[in-house]
Amino acid sequence: MIKKIGYAIIGLSFVASIFFVYHNYSFYDRPIAEVVKTTLIDSVDIENEDQIFTQRLLAELKNGPAKGELIELTNDYSLSGANDQKFQLGSEIFVSINEDSTSSELTGSIEDIKRDKYVVIVGWVFIFTLLLVGRKQGLFSIISLVVNAVLLSYALDLYLSTSGISLLLISGVSIILFTVISLLLVNGLNEKTYAAIIATLLGTFLSLLITYIVMVITNENGLRYEEMQFITRPYKMVFMAGVFIGALGAVMDVAITMSSSIFSLYEKNHQISVEALKKSGLEIGKDIMGTMTNILFFAYISGSIPMLLLYLKNGSTWMFTLSMNLSLELARALAGGIGIVLTIPIGLYTAIYFVNRKRARA
Amino acid sequence: MNVLIWLAGILLILMILVGGHKGARSFIAIIYNFAVILFTVLLMTVPNADPIIITIIASTIISCINLFYINEVNRTTKTAFISTVITIIMLLMFIFVFTEKSMIQGFGEEEIEEIGIFTLFIGIDFIKIATAVIIMSTIGAITDTAMAISSPMREIFIHNPTISRKELFFSGMSIGKDILGTSTNTLFFAFFGGYLGLLIWFKDLSYSLGEIINSKVFSAEMITILCAGIGVALIIPVTASITAYYLVKARNQNKH
Repeated sequence: MIKKIGYAIIGLSFVASIFFVYHNYSFYDRPIAEVVKTTLIDSVDIENEDQIFTQRLLAELKNGPAKGELIELTNDYSLSGANDQKFQLGSEIFVSINEDSTSSELTGSIEDIKRDKYVVIVGWVFIFTLLLVGRKQGLFSIISLVVNAVLLSYALDLYLSTSGISLLLISGVSIILFTVISLLLVNGLNEKTYAAIIATLLGTFLSLLITYIVMVITNENGLRYEEMQFITRPYKMVFMAGVFIGALGAVMDVAITMSSSIFSLYEKNHQISVEALKKSGLEIGKDIMGTMTNILFFAYISGSIPMLLLYLKNGSTWMFTLSMNLSLELARALAGGIGIVLTIPIGLYTAIYFVNRKRARA
Repeated sequence: MNVLIWLAGILLILMILVGGHKGARSFIAIIYNFAVILFTVLLMTVPNADPIIITIIASTIISCINLFYINEVNRTTKTAFISTVITIIMLLMFIFVFTEKSMIQGFGEEEIEEIGIFTLFIGIDFIKIATAVIIMSTIGAITDTAMAISSPMREIFIHNPTISRKELFFSGMSIGKDILGTSTNTLFFAFFGGYLGLLIWFKDLSYSLGEIINSKVFSAEMITILCAGIGVALIIPVTASITAYYLVKARNQNKH
C-alpha cells in the first residue's frame, strides 16, 4: 500500500513537473521566444580554423504583453560554439525587445537560453535510474543528495548573512551534519555507522590540518588563486572549505567500507583476533585506496579540459597552461587523497575499538 | 617549496605506509592517469580530430590502468572492463543529446570576462568537449563501482559453484544496491566542493532562481552531477549481467 502511494506520488510529480517546465513562461519576467524560422544569411572563415555563421531567426514570444507576436533576431555562431550556439526550430530563448521597434515588426536581441526543462528532464532520468537500480537504497541516496544540497545552501546563506562567522567554522559544522545525515541514510542506525561517522570526522579534520600546515610552511607557493572563478569572497577560505567538502564523500565511502567489513568479519566469527581483523582490514584498505583517489582525481581534473584547450589553442605554452589551470584542482585531488589514505587506518582502528567494546559487553 | 610537491610527497608516503607495494602502485596509477588526460587534451587540439572518439579511446585506456594495472588481469577485472566500456558508450550518447539540446557547452558569460584576451574561435566542437568532460569526470567512479561488484560476485560464484545465472545476477544487483549510496555520495560531495565558489557567487550577486537554473554554468554543473549519478547507477545492472553471463558461460564450457 505504502509502495503504491509512493509510486503514485513519484508519477504525479513527474508529470506535473514536466508539464510545468513546458508551460512556465508566465513565471518569468524576462520575455521568452520560441524559434519558428531560421535563415542562414552569412558565413565567414576565420584563419582556416573556424567559421562564423550569421542566422536570422523569427521567434514567437511566449509571455509578456507582446505574447503571440513574432520577433526578429540575429544570431552569430561559430563551429566551435565556445560562447555561442546555433539555434534550431523550437529553441527557446530569453530575449530583450528593442524599445524602438514598431508594433508590426518587433526586433530584439538574444539574452540567454531557456535551459530549465533539460535540467528537469535529466533530473528525472537520474531519479528513475536510481530508483530502478537501487529501489529503497536508490531512494535514500536521492534523499541524501537533496537534504545535503539544502543544508549546504542553508549554511551558505548563514555565512553570507552573518559577516562575523568564518566560512571555515560553518563548513566544519556542516561537515559534521553532512557526515551524520549521509551515513545514517546510507547505512542506518547501528554501531557500524557510529564507527564510520567517527572515522570520517577524524580523517577529514586530520587531513585538513595537514593541508593547512603544508600551506603555511610553503607560503602557498605554487597555488594560482587567480584561476579561481566566481569569487566574491576571500578566496583562500572558499578554496579550503571546498577542498574538505569535496573530499568528504570519498572519506565517508572509505570509512563505511572499513567499518562494514570489520564488523562483518566479527559477525562471521566472534572469536576472531584483533590481529586478524587488522590484517584483513588493511588488505581491504589497500584495495580501495587507489580507486578512491582516482574518483576524486577525475572528478576534479576533467572540468579543466575546456580551459586547457582554450589556452593551448591560443598559443600558451604547456607549462603556463598547466600551472594556471590545474594547480588548485591538483591540490584539491591530492588533499582529498591524503584524507582517503588516512581514513583507512583510522577507520580500521575505530571499527576494532567498537568491536572490542561489543565483545566486552557480550 | 611548492604546495603540490609537498602534498604529492605526503600522499605518496602515506600510500606506501598504509598500502605497501600496492600503495606505490596506486600512486603510479594516478600519475599514469594524469598523463592520459594530458595526452587526451593534446589530441583534442589536433584539427578535425573527433573529441568523442578520443574520449572513448581515453576512457578505455584509463579503465585499463584502473582495473588491470592497480589490480591484475583476471576474469573479474576483464568483466569489469567490458562493463565499463559498454556503460561509457551508453552514457556518451545520452549526454551528447542533452548537451546539444541544452547548449551548456563552452564557457558561461561569468567566465568569459576573464578570458577576454583569447580568441574563442579555435575550431574545436565544444559540444563534444562538454560531453567528454562529463564522461571523464565520472570514469573513476564507474570503474570503481564495476570492480566493487564483479569482484564479490566471483567470490559468491566460487563458494556456490552451482548457482544459476539469474541468482548470480541478483546477488550482483544486491551488492550494487549497497554501494550505490556511497558511490553517488562520493561524487556529489566532490562536485559540491568544486562548485562552492559558484554557489557563493550566485548567492552574493542575488541571482533569482530563474536566472540561476537557466544560466549556462549552473545548468552545466547540474547536468554533470546528474549524469555522473546516472553513470554510477547504470554500471550496476550492466556489470551484474555481464559478470553473471561470463562466469556461468565459463562453467558450462568446462563441463563439456
